[in-house]
Amino acid sequence: MAELPLDAEETGSDLPEGLAPPGNSDGSDGVSPPEPPPAQSMPAASHGAVLLRDRYLVDSGKPLPEFDAPTAKAYAVEDRRDLGNQLLALVCTPGFPIRLSAIRLLKDGDIPGVLPLVDWDSIMWPALGRKSLIIIYQRPLGGRVVDRLARKETKITEYDMPRRVIEPLSEALQKIESGDGPHRAIRPENIYFLDEDMEDIVLGPHMTAPPGHDQPTMLEPIDRAMAQPAGRGLGDSRDDIYALGVTVVLLLLGHNPVASMKDEDLLKARLEHGSYTAICGAARIPMQLIEPLRGMLADDPAERWDFAEIAKWLTGLKITPVKKKPMNKSEIFFKFRGTEHYSPRSLARHFARHPNDAVKAINGEEFETWVKRGLESKEKTDAIKGAIQTSKFHEDNHQGTDDFLICRVTAILDPDGPIRYKGLAFMHDGYGPVLATEWVRNNNPQPAAEALSHDVSGVWYGAQEKLKKEHIETQTTFTQLRGLLAIQDPGYGLERVLYEANPGMSCQSPFVAEDYVLIIEQLLPALDDAANSGGTSSQPIDNHVAAFIAARFNEDIHPHLKALASNKAETSIVGTLSLLAFLQWKLRTPALLGLSSWVGGLLGPAINAYHNRHTRQDLERDIPRLVRKGSLPELFNLIDDAEKRQEDSDGFAVCRAEWLEAEEEIRDIEGAGDERLTKAERSGQQAAAMFSISIALTVIAVLVLAEMM
Amino acid sequence: MANMSNTSGGVNWNVVLGGGVILAVFAAFSLPSLIVFAVGLLPTFVAYLIDSSDQKFGAFCVGGLNMCGVFPYVLKLWNENHTPAAAVDVITDVFTLFIMFTAAGFGWMIFLAIPPVIASFLSVMAQTRVKTLRTIQKEIMEEWGPEVASTVDDEPVGMPPGE
Repeated sequence: MAELPLDAEETGSDLPEGLAPPGNSDGSDGVSPPEPPPAQSMPAASHGAVLLRDRYLVDSGKPLPEFDAPTAKAYAVEDRRDLGNQLLALVCTPGFPIRLSAIRLLKDGDIPGVLPLVDWDSIMWPALGRKSLIIIYQRPLGGRVVDRLARKETKITEYDMPRRVIEPLSEALQKIESGDGPHRAIRPENIYFLDEDMEDIVLGPHMTAPPGHDQPTMLEPIDRAMAQPAGRGLGDSRDDIYALGVTVVLLLLGHNPVASMKDEDLLKARLEHGSYTAICGAARIPMQLIEPLRGMLADDPAERWDFAEIAKWLTGLKITPVKKKPMNKSEIFFKFRGTEHYSPRSLARHFARHPNDAVKAINGEEFETWVKRGLESKEKTDAIKGAIQTSKFHEDNHQGTDDFLICRVTAILDPDGPIRYKGLAFMHDGYGPVLATEWVRNNNPQPAAEALSHDVSGVWYGAQEKLKKEHIETQTTFTQLRGLLAIQDPGYGLERVLYEANPGMSCQSPFVAEDYVLIIEQLLPALDDAANSGGTSSQPIDNHVAAFIAARFNEDIHPHLKALASNKAETSIVGTLSLLAFLQWKLRTPALLGLSSWVGGLLGPAINAYHNRHTRQDLERDIPRLVRKGSLPELFNLIDDAEKRQEDSDGFAVCRAEWLEAEEEIRDIEGAGDERLTKAERSGQQAAAMFSISIALTVIAVLVLAEMM
Repeated sequence: MANMSNTSGGVNWNVVLGGGVILAVFAAFSLPSLIVFAVGLLPTFVAYLIDSSDQKFGAFCVGGLNMCGVFPYVLKLWNENHTPAAAVDVITDVFTLFIMFTAAGFGWMIFLAIPPVIASFLSVMAQTRVKTLRTIQKEIMEEWGPEVASTVDDEPVGMPPGE
């Protein structure tokens, strides 16, 4: 952004087809290496047109680079029902969490001053060879404001600025904020003339990337500018007002007054002299705009103008001028890695960027002296001493690590700045997108996961003098996310955190990653497609799918997840089937032949859970019939019939008892060989004795009777 | 304690005393019969002594047929001349003694021959029963699987051998 001429700001125009630039290209605190080019790199060639909702024909052969955003490329669109309708499509970069609620808000109705959103969907984008989110907008016929200004096709003077720019945009921002929060993508190249006559100015798209992600650091307030792009957080209207102020300066001057400064130098100047002075100090700002710009560019959010004050100024009412407060900086400098730091915020930023040197400096006497004398704050001195002592005391756990110590010290030095941990730098409301980008684009979620599990946000909150309302809200969110992270069952863990913290994140399961599953209704059809693509030996619900369902499906699925997490294969597969069946039933998803076949093929353990062989054979005979119907609920009812299970269980118990009874009798008969022989002999002897006595009695009786007769 | 008071060294004195009384009564009222029984039933007494089992099945076997050989001569004595002299004549007749002792010998042969036959018969019966039970078990396992043959602590057992 430091190079910002109004007509040459970085866009996606020089990127491969359909791709966004690496997100870490500015001077943020993020010290991780620049993001590698996305793996889906495709040659810039025409791949034909795709049809969105059977109406909008998006032609990948007709790019519109003048409407590109840093994380989305623009293409021409033909409305098949109204050929005169001038539209454009923004093809989002897969892997970025988008602002889904903002899309829905604008889809539900136009907001004056905002580029009208016509429709959206995730469809196959041939250039990427996968599905991507495509948003259809009304094409701003007047083009980019900065382009028209640069070509001198129009002019916005300081007299036009309030009515033509500030008033419509501030009204639009108010309406956006009341619907879905701040815009967070206000920059000169994202402001368009809606009409060919260049009368109506509108704000461009803001939902193709996380809040503030696409913003040059210059257009972000100091605290958020120090965070990495993905971690700048949602913020609030005050952040929009700051960006609007800088945008007004750039449009007014027609050039960037600090273009010659590097981002890092500009940020340092802003930290030490204030943003207004750093940006506008050398520029000729018209007298009537000095006060509003000073108010809009105030670094203290509490001092910064709000919409009410802008409205007052627009109506000509007198506004109390913003008092120039001295910046929080020391009279003496602290030299760190050859740079003299007067501002503790600047020092904190550099500590986080150079952790090895920072630890040595923090433990040195020179730093302690500087904090004591330079900052003249006994509280901060004590807090830093306490942090060092705590670190030494907890040598055997994470609190004793250098990263944790730096996190503590930087939070004490710069409590308004981002949370800094292991190279990450994110605002308290920007954790979700940081996790998403670190995981999906950099494939390294570990630092972000540790930041959550080690409660580094707690360190940051602890360093605040007073917790604001938004702090308490995000603190509660962090607590909830940490609770989810601690559970390792399917549907929880880091995957669940990813989707809970990023409502606009598509499901990253390998089964459906290329289908850009953004909403729960898209999941089952995507899994159905995955089934047809092969690879159905594992269960269709992996950790990502389970977490995505848990985060996006507004029904109680805990019993299903509990079954899914079971160590028993039969319980787990029944849990999978029950969850998918519940989804299909609730979402009224049509027949899922592929997914039914996939799940049906994995039901072996569930079938084998029945003891009776005839029942198993019956089930195996019936499953193909239901698979052909594509009905998961019917498949579930067949497999998990409670009455059938009870009958099977009871029958099994009876037959087991019968088997054991027979076994005992056999063992009794076959028991001890000698004993059995002895028993038989004894029986024989007894029989012989009875036989002998019977003969004797018979003979005696016969003889006695013979004598008597 | 009652048994202890009535036995000493394996000798049941109640039996000895009872037998003595019977013999005394028998000697007083029917001495000739006693003489014939005493001599004629000698194999039975011997069998009783050598049969170490509790039930004395051997003695019963020998005794039964021994009685068949002795009783006709006792009956003849009762009907014709019930005197000690006639009794002595009977017991001194070799042929008579042969009849009596041969009958006892048949009794001993029965004791030796019948038990093995009975044992074999019982064994065949047991094998038949085992086979029937194995068949029932096999049918149960075919319908319910090998798990049906397991108890809580056992692993499932295989199909019955030889099935």
